Amino acid sequence: MSVLVDIQHVSKKYKDAPKAAINDLSLTIQKGEIFGLLGPNGAGKTTFISMLCGLFPPGSGEILINGRTHKTHSKECKQVIGVVPQEIALYPQLTAWENLMFLGHMYGLSGSTLKEKIQKNLKILGLEANIHQKLISYSGGMKRRLNLIAGLLHDPQLLILDEPTVGVDIQSKQAIIEHLKKLNKENGMTILYTSHHLDEAEDFCSYIAIIDQGQLITQGQPKELIIQNNCNSVEEVYLKMTGVKFRD
Amino acid sequence: MKLIYSLYKEYKVLIRDRAGLAITFIMPTALILIMTLIQDSTFKSVNESAVPLLFVDRDHDSLSQTLEKYINHSKFFTITKKQLSNNEVKKQVAQGNFLIGIIIPENTSKRLKERSTERITNLLNSFSGDSIETLSTDTSKIQLNIFFDPVTKQSFKTTISGAIDRIISQIEMQGMINALNAKMKETFPDSKPSALESTPLVNISEEYASYNNSVIIPNAVQHNVPAWTLFAMFFICIPLAGNIIKERQDGSAFRLLTMPGSYFIVMLGKLLTYTLVSLIQFLLMLCVGVFILPLLGMPQLNIGDNLPLLFLIALSAGLAATGFGLLVGTIATSHDQASLFGAVFVIILAAIGGVWVPTFVMPDFMKTISVFSPLNWGLESFYAVFIRNSSLKEIWPEILKLWVFFIATLSSAFLYQKYKRLN
Repeated sequence: MSVLVDIQHVSKKYKDAPKAAINDLSLTIQKGEIFGLLGPNGAGKTTFISMLCGLFPPGSGEILINGRTHKTHSKECKQVIGVVPQEIALYPQLTAWENLMFLGHMYGLSGSTLKEKIQKNLKILGLEANIHQKLISYSGGMKRRLNLIAGLLHDPQLLILDEPTVGVDIQSKQAIIEHLKKLNKENGMTILYTSHHLDEAEDFCSYIAIIDQGQLITQGQPKELIIQNNCNSVEEVYLKMTGVKFRD
Repeated sequence: MKLIYSLYKEYKVLIRDRAGLAITFIMPTALILIMTLIQDSTFKSVNESAVPLLFVDRDHDSLSQTLEKYINHSKFFTITKKQLSNNEVKKQVAQGNFLIGIIIPENTSKRLKERSTERITNLLNSFSGDSIETLSTDTSKIQLNIFFDPVTKQSFKTTISGAIDRIISQIEMQGMINALNAKMKETFPDSKPSALESTPLVNISEEYASYNNSVIIPNAVQHNVPAWTLFAMFFICIPLAGNIIKERQDGSAFRLLTMPGSYFIVMLGKLLTYTLVSLIQFLLMLCVGVFILPLLGMPQLNIGDNLPLLFLIALSAGLAATGFGLLVGTIATSHDQASLFGAVFVIILAAIGGVWVPTFVMPDFMKTISVFSPLNWGLESFYAVFIRNSSLKEIWPEILKLWVFFIATLSSAFLYQKYKRLN
């Protein structure tokens, strides 16, 4: 495997914040990996993802995507990435079809290619019957599945998922995870996944990094981490590393 | 293609937002109809329309009859004749039933004739060297009572008093000429003098300083249609800011920012869509002024003959309003904050800009402040075209101000958003 994302000594401190959100973080994401980024609230996951997506530059250090930085190759870097935010980042007044057509065009797709991609994804995730239904009438699980499709339309090399299964029923959760596994296996899609569902992360991810207070605490394959720390699950490793104190 | 889909998306979102549509189109239509009907009488009072006048004639002689004839002839007044006591007249005016009450006391004509004859006799006697003495024991001034409604503005009161005074002066003058004629007839019984020409020797030429010699008197329709159209255009900041905040809160903005070049396209899409909505608002409000208001007994809106210039003013105002909406949507952190801030700010801008109360009736201090409101720049431009038939040459400074406001708000929105992202 080759490196898709290379994070080198990245730090970021927000103005007026007492301490850095990300503090000298270094890690790599290999192509074809399902990379789980875990950490308690306020650990710096959102800041990390925002910098990776090019929303703002790091205070120091470098983020390389396919060997390029956002600073010099913003368009190329952004084209590599697909994002599925934690929120349902879609327009409730529009139908599923209208939402996906709009977002597909924003990714630079058009014509029959876009239409085929939309139809294919809607079918896989069981939404083809609701294609012309406004999102306002969708259930939580249906919205989550559509939210995922919106991030997949341009076949990104790196799919960033911020808690993709939060608040969904078991059936939708199963469909989402299975589809992602299939994309990873068949298309070689690299996935960066964040979640507080640690059992799901243990099952789903091929590699895990735990960060806290902007710093990397530990990283490795889930089984390796469990053995190294004499634990029975990733959840135990997580609690051992980050403690049981509330992080409000 | 990206821009077309962005426009299409904004169109779909907007068309399905019923509350937003109500604010955008129904509110200004209702405001124009209501405010024009409410303000019609006020505008009429400063225009050519008749003022209700209570006329109490206890004289029943030449002076009261001539005064009544002159008042009728002036067309400034609607005369109601009644026989009431002084207190009753005062009460009627105080209750607002009449703006003015005039009482002509008994024997006023008779006394005026006597006093005129007396003055002429004294004058002629002074030529012949006779001693000057009054022939009558009545030395008191002839008194007419005029009551004004307390709400009457001083300037209007002075104008009305001046007009009545001028009428009485003419009657007085005529009385003296008659007395002089009679005296001369006594001195020269066989003479046949020609009548004294009474036409004015000085003629005042009055003209409205409009271009193309077009005379259009401002009325409630010509004030309220552009005023409330501009208000509605700027009120667009609420749905627009709400739209931006919603995208930010539901993660759509985050997703769009991760797409190459798309966020700028989406913002451009919003800018163009809402500017187009402003232009549709303008067209709709023009239609209200031209077709709906006349059905309610109001004057028809005279839109002049320079439609391209009207379009340019509407476009400039629409861009200024959209730029302002983008800024509000960028700065505000919640929909409630944007609604409150946007609404209050637009109401303040409208108030100082002359939307509620026209600037020409504002005190000087407020007139100075009003030039800082973009609604005033738009309103003054519309006035210039509707009332003075001005061309771009006359109103370009106002148009330029609107464009500068648009560029300033748009740049501020983008800079603020960048600053927030980086910090």
